[in-house]
Amino acid sequence: MFNPDFNDYQLTSIITECCGGVAVVYSALYKPSNQNVAIKRYFVDKTKENASLIQQDILTRKELQHANILPYLTSFVHGRELYVVSPLMTFGSCRDILDRYFHEGLPELACAIVLRDVLQALQYLHKQLYIHRSVRASHVLVGANGGVRLSGLRSAASLLLRGRRQRHLHQLPPPDHDNTNLMWLSPELLEQNLKGYDEKSDIYSVGVLCCELGNGAVPFAEVPSTLMLTEKVRGSRPQLLDCSTFPEPCLDDTEMKSMYNTDSGVGDSADAVCRLRALYAARKLSDSFHQLSDLALQRDPDKRPSATQLLNHPFFKQIRKTDYLPGLIGRVKPIKPDPNDMSALLLQEKLSEMEIEKTTEWDF
Amino acid sequence: MDPRMCRKISSSESLPDVDNEEYEVSTIIAPQESDENFMLDGSPEPHSVTWLDNDQIDELDLNLDDQTNLCFHRVDSADIIYRSKKKKCKMVGKYVMGDVLGEGSYGKVKEMLDSETLCRRAVKILKKRKLRRIPNGEQNVQREIQLLRILRHKNVIELVDVMYNDEKQKMYLVMEFCVGVLQDMLEASPGKKFPQRQAHDYFTQLLDGLEYLHGQGVVHKDIKPGNLLLTLDQKLKITDFGVAEALDMFSPEDTCYTGQGSPAFQPPEIANGAEQFSGVKVDIWSSGVTLYNMTTGRYPFEGDNVYRLLESIGRGEPAPPPATLGPALGQLLTNMLKRDPDLRPTVHEIRKHSRWVQARPPLEAGERLVSPRSRRSDELHTSTVIPYLVERHYPSAQDYFTERDLRHELGDGGSRTLSTAELSDAASSRRKRRWHSSCGRLPSCRLT
Repeated sequence: MFNPDFNDYQLTSIITECCGGVAVVYSALYKPSNQNVAIKRYFVDKTKENASLIQQDILTRKELQHANILPYLTSFVHGRELYVVSPLMTFGSCRDILDRYFHEGLPELACAIVLRDVLQALQYLHKQLYIHRSVRASHVLVGANGGVRLSGLRSAASLLLRGRRQRHLHQLPPPDHDNTNLMWLSPELLEQNLKGYDEKSDIYSVGVLCCELGNGAVPFAEVPSTLMLTEKVRGSRPQLLDCSTFPEPCLDDTEMKSMYNTDSGVGDSADAVCRLRALYAARKLSDSFHQLSDLALQRDPDKRPSATQLLNHPFFKQIRKTDYLPGLIGRVKPIKPDPNDMSALLLQEKLSEMEIEKTTEWDF
Repeated sequence: MDPRMCRKISSSESLPDVDNEEYEVSTIIAPQESDENFMLDGSPEPHSVTWLDNDQIDELDLNLDDQTNLCFHRVDSADIIYRSKKKKCKMVGKYVMGDVLGEGSYGKVKEMLDSETLCRRAVKILKKRKLRRIPNGEQNVQREIQLLRILRHKNVIELVDVMYNDEKQKMYLVMEFCVGVLQDMLEASPGKKFPQRQAHDYFTQLLDGLEYLHGQGVVHKDIKPGNLLLTLDQKLKITDFGVAEALDMFSPEDTCYTGQGSPAFQPPEIANGAEQFSGVKVDIWSSGVTLYNMTTGRYPFEGDNVYRLLESIGRGEPAPPPATLGPALGQLLTNMLKRDPDLRPTVHEIRKHSRWVQARPPLEAGERLVSPRSRRSDELHTSTVIPYLVERHYPSAQDYFTERDLRHELGDGGSRTLSTAELSDAASSRRKRRWHSSCGRLPSCRLT
């Protein structure tokens, strides 16, 4: 049990800012038991709509219990902010890991472990009649012992409406601050027509996650959302990049760069792009990996396998009991309390105070 | 008629793999024909090309139907050429414009897509010029905007955004996207009514919305099937607050002085020209007429013209609900259509006392739910913005394509929507036409 009392927690560092500045995640020490936890601090006043989403997130997580879903420990209000306590996932999100250490994507075996755990979480969620609607690497967290947990349940939707089971949903998930969530969503969900979408929509997102984990880059990033929509609706699907799908083309620099930008959205510098390109063209991912992503990314939701069916895919047969995720991503450093971070934290506190002062106008 | 002018008789015949899709070809060009800016198969001689519009094709259709002895000229599928008309992609603010959904006296309602959130929206486009011609037009719009800005309920249409274009003298009211109007669904359904089960689903949502509105001190004053919309997930939305009124919050009464609603749904007190009346009870009456209409396909009062109609509402008793509706529904209708406003129940009382409202009626044998899709040829109500986006993002997209190309593309696994993207120019212009005509026939009040 964790006490819902701010004084029982000692903030140790800032992990990340999220939800467009509406929330900050800290690592903290739970003093009574000396346990490390993660605390998400919401500035509830910043947006009105968010309050109900946070509530939704907490209610859903309270209801769900699965080894691969980020549990909810407790929550409380302190000052004008809401604090939600979860276990600390030391290695952070898969997106962080990709951004910091694996620009070209995770090793295939690591992908397999992560995807298996995500699928297990989805298998459970779907059985509970939930659709997650925001499966993406930033919502896949890795714990100290390599445990993988799915978070981001604030956009989850239940198929149960007033006790009746709906076959399909039609609404878009609640928009996130920069609408990036759309890139992972299935074509049928984005189409918003009378057919609607069901839990197979999550499977499509798993397919996008496959490519994200395997390539390092998010498919459709840097493409206007409207083009992403038409591409998806017209049935083109992202791919895992290796020598089979990404043979060294003899294109001149500009052409290559523009192509690159629209394909995977790593647009930092031409050099980095070149290096990555060479890396992709030189490597070979297993056929079963390609197959898995193709299966999940099928345009017709009825043709996509369920989470349970995907878990039986040969791709996951390569995982042995002794495989240890932290070992496979050895470069990644766990989150450690960092005094510099704390100064940043204090600075931020001051900044937010200054913001309040700014609003009081001078009156001469 | 050029014998080489071939006309597909039925799309399902010639394109067996897409039997559910129906599209019209706006132009068919016979083989080896081309004009200056249109060269095919390297044909050197530019021949004259006959362009057919939809009406001519319809005529052709008729002619073909009449003749029993038809001679078909065989044409290879690669020789039937379609031309996709350019859909010019237009943006208003961050929204991409789609096709027209409906038309009213004030202007058009079009579909839009929010280019940031990709959320489908509907936009009511108001032209100042047209508004001035409508009595109280500008004032009503102003009031509607003011009210909708405050109101927030799952059964009240949400006003998402308001934009102005001073240059064009246009105003854009961006709203939630809805797939259908109850009025249209009623007109398309057998007997022009809903099964009781379906009427119950809508009526209870109407009560939810009214309860909220009346709680907020807002009287709608124009409740009718034409102002009740349905979203993709069958949620009912009360719309058109043009004649609605916000009551004085500090007054214990709900007295209103003006009624501008549709005649068939007006209560006796307004029909008789009362100077002041209870606003809330007007909504109860109109909801009663709406329920009467949804379950019987008829109206409690009828008249050949507005005057006769108002006279019969003002003087007479409503046609008693048919006994086939059952006692519970009959009782509810009788109560809601009481001549004396004081005797009509409030929303709260309806909920508390009506057995019909409390128990959801089952779907009787042989009854079928009416779906909002019955109107349009596109059964799924797919976004009409997509073709515009295709034009925008694929500027080099083929202008002309052959039937073989088409089959080929459609044959690709799961690319059914490709047809919408590539082809819908023809399909949607037809669709648009239908939608138009259905709205054109729709008078603001119904007298039948």
